[in-house]
Amino acid sequence: MLEFMDYVQAAFHAQGGWNRDNSYSSLTTTAHNLLDFQIPHGLRMHISSLSSPNFGTSYTVGSKGVVDGSLSFLYTSLGLSLPARSRTAHLEGLVQGYRHLAALRPPSQTNWTEVLRGGKTIRQKDSLLYGRLYLPTSTLEALYLRRISPNRLLRLNGVSDGSLPSGGSLLALLQNDFGKYSTEYLYSTDSSLIGIRGLYNFGYDPRHPDTLSGRPPAHPWDHQGGRLSAGAEVYFSPINKSGGVSTGLRFTTLPIHTGFPYTMTLTINPLMGNLSSTYAVKAGRNLAFCSRFDFNVYSYESDVMVGVELWQRQQHAPETAWARRLLRPDWPQVEEEVNGVLKARVDNHGKVGLLWECKLKELLVSLGAGVDLKKRERMLGSVGLEVSYSS
Amino acid sequence: MAFNFNWSPLIADTDRVRDMLTSSLNKSPKPPIIVDDILVNELNLGSTPPELEILEVGDLAEDRFRGIFKMSYTGDAYLTLKTRVQANPLNTFLSTKPSFASPQPLAASSGLTIPLQITLSDIRLSGFVILVFSKQKGITLVFRNDPLESLKVSSTFDSIPFVRDYLQKTIENQLRVLFMEDLPAIIHRLSLRMFNSELQPADDAEKDATNDQVPIDPLASPALQAMDGSGDAFDAAPLSLDTPTETYASFSQKNLLRLAALSESQRTLSLFTPGMRDTVFRAWASAADRNEPSNGTHTPLHRPTLSRMQSTLGDQSAWSSSAPSQTSEATSAASRPSLASAATMPSTYTLGTNSSRTRPRKRKHRIVNLRKDKTPEDATDGTSVSSGYNDSASRSAGTSAEPSMAETEPTTLPSYISREGEISTPPRSPKKKVDFKASSDGGQNHDRNATIRARPVTPRNTAVQLNVDNDPTPRASMYLPEKQSQEQRPPLRRQPLPRMQTVPTPVHRAQLSRSTSELSLRGMPPAFESSTGGILEQAWMMKMASEIARKVSEEKAKQGTWRLRGSGSSDDGLQVGGEAPPAYVSRDGFAL
Repeated sequence: MLEFMDYVQAAFHAQGGWNRDNSYSSLTTTAHNLLDFQIPHGLRMHISSLSSPNFGTSYTVGSKGVVDGSLSFLYTSLGLSLPARSRTAHLEGLVQGYRHLAALRPPSQTNWTEVLRGGKTIRQKDSLLYGRLYLPTSTLEALYLRRISPNRLLRLNGVSDGSLPSGGSLLALLQNDFGKYSTEYLYSTDSSLIGIRGLYNFGYDPRHPDTLSGRPPAHPWDHQGGRLSAGAEVYFSPINKSGGVSTGLRFTTLPIHTGFPYTMTLTINPLMGNLSSTYAVKAGRNLAFCSRFDFNVYSYESDVMVGVELWQRQQHAPETAWARRLLRPDWPQVEEEVNGVLKARVDNHGKVGLLWECKLKELLVSLGAGVDLKKRERMLGSVGLEVSYSS
Repeated sequence: MAFNFNWSPLIADTDRVRDMLTSSLNKSPKPPIIVDDILVNELNLGSTPPELEILEVGDLAEDRFRGIFKMSYTGDAYLTLKTRVQANPLNTFLSTKPSFASPQPLAASSGLTIPLQITLSDIRLSGFVILVFSKQKGITLVFRNDPLESLKVSSTFDSIPFVRDYLQKTIENQLRVLFMEDLPAIIHRLSLRMFNSELQPADDAEKDATNDQVPIDPLASPALQAMDGSGDAFDAAPLSLDTPTETYASFSQKNLLRLAALSESQRTLSLFTPGMRDTVFRAWASAADRNEPSNGTHTPLHRPTLSRMQSTLGDQSAWSSSAPSQTSEATSAASRPSLASAATMPSTYTLGTNSSRTRPRKRKHRIVNLRKDKTPEDATDGTSVSSGYNDSASRSAGTSAEPSMAETEPTTLPSYISREGEISTPPRSPKKKVDFKASSDGGQNHDRNATIRARPVTPRNTAVQLNVDNDPTPRASMYLPEKQSQEQRPPLRRQPLPRMQTVPTPVHRAQLSRSTSELSLRGMPPAFESSTGGILEQAWMMKMASEIARKVSEEKAKQGTWRLRGSGSSDDGLQVGGEAPPAYVSRDGFAL
């Protein structure tokens, strides 16, 4: 489940019309959501509030042996309108599952807020400021987001922690989204790490939308109902004289696809000989499967992980069943409210992760457990409960 | 002073060290690059021992030691570790960073674990080491500073500078922790294991091994000191050094319990005898039995001393401290005379038995030498005996010293005494007749003889001497017995010490010539030197010598009486005379 501040940030991106999926770093978001979900550890409670469309606060108290907590504040220049209350928040927005990719839009069509100032319309450069202080450890996190232009986003992440070598680190990330392709440039003060990421979408070019309709596929992978993307990333640290490279491919179905949605990815790390392939299927409205296979051609190490996601929806009241039956099928139907989500994963090392996230009255509850089937004496690795309330 | 640092056995037993290293390496949180347990694959301590320079010795005894060393090591030891490491530098780099500000690469940080073999070689150490050794508490070794100077880490990743540097740095840090924290613990545990096994007296085999090293005499030695104590506290002190440790080693809890049980059984009608290996039981039920070892005559004295000895040992006070206590004990023992001896007899007996068991070989050697020596001539005996015990060098010293020795005897000393005792004891046993005579002779003088009768062995040697001595000197005097006892006791401890050898001759000759104590002093130093190569020992000897000289001078005043007694220094006479009233002595002798 997304933390409140991440929820607000997602809303910031959505409202500003920033497509977060058109980036190489989010190539495997679906598999990540279905397989690498976070299992809460210990007891944790969040109390959050979006007191105004521009300002949010969140407090966290947790206990896993020792009591710790954090205070976080968020300010955004973009007035957010999102169901922030835990009572009204939709679980679909809070729980990240199978990710449906939308059709690409030309960057000019992104929601770009314009304000009238001095008789001229000025495109407002939305920004977001976020800070979080972890109390016992005195670690400070700061985030600065700024939409420099409709297709450019600047992101600054900073961490201040006395235990870090230089007292903290700073990461600057510049993202360019041109629809057809996107690029990212990053720099980290930690050993001066420099990185470049790029993603290219084959087929449909949103910059020339007229070619969309009725055009025969130019090549076999120019799938009308899906999108093939390829990307790569390169990192280099001049101080460490070390770096990293990876390339990836993704094919995912688009909403116009008539069959069940699915997503396939393949990422390769040529330096380390690592191959990772994922396959995720949205088998039904409430069910999604995902599998991942990792293989290293140098060490012959392999991993397999399988995950499932099950959505539980609120049943309609039986009193209104007769009325619904009278609705015509082509009329827009109201989706049933999601009550809870069950996520489970298991890998070939016998590690099982279970997570149940639900809405309980006014609270958002997530209950998770990690089980190691190979450890007979201590099968139950970690159990956690998180309770969130926001107003 | 010098230490004999035996490096080769350390090389042999590396298995346990390897296990302990493995566990200690995996105990501390491992750096992120290491993704598996660290296994110590190979450990070779090399053929070059570290160089140790003694900076300070705070405490020194046979069973404990405290000192500060300056250690430098440039040997060829090497250590091979096996583990699996993360080969992707980006992975390890990011794993140490907070995730919030990490670039979160998609797949560039995917891991590649590689089995890694690391060889640590060219280890250069230099630092100050504090070493505390105690037989009960094991070895505690602490580095005062970070000893690791340099170290060569060679691994599979030498071609990748980042990984190599990282490994080098990480391993150096780990090793620093190991040296400062883990190694002391490992050594302590190891030493505890070793010493505990040795300390368990129940294990006869082990005991024997340990006991062989430890002279049986220690029991007697306290007595010697005590005697000296009456004369010279200082003299006793040096002796005590050796003795306390020895006694301690030879008498473990179990041993003492068994011996106690044995003595109890002999006091009563109980037929139960605790099983003791490598022990010869003699039929004599009387207290005299204990005498068989050289101690026999002295037994009464020994008893009290024993208890004291233990107490001193327990205190672990330095020998110096123990010395005074012993001296005081000696005096007390002397005061106690016959009564105490009688009561204590059984216990002493046990002690004697212990010593005999534990030290079978040493004893035998001595005995053989003594007999040979004695048979030829008394005068020659002294020299020959010394040679037997000691090297030729000591012997020569002994010969030179001998004449003087006789004179000095009374004041001098424990060392002489001890020798005499040793020498005398072996011969005694063979000549029972002599003993009887002696006992009869000395018996008048000494209380213990009465109880001792069994002891005939010891008396015999003394008897020969006694006869001579007694005749010239008045038996009745208490002093005489004391001196004798001194002589007897020393031999027990002294066995290990070569110096003693020279002494013995004087005893025999004492009868011949009891001229000046000074001469004995001269003789002493050479003996010491020969016996002790170590600086420390020499220093001790020097101190002792000076002390002895002083005491001699002091005693000279008293000597008039002492000499007479000293001449009569035969064991029986000595023991009894010191403390027991003449009447007792006479009774004992008659009883025998």
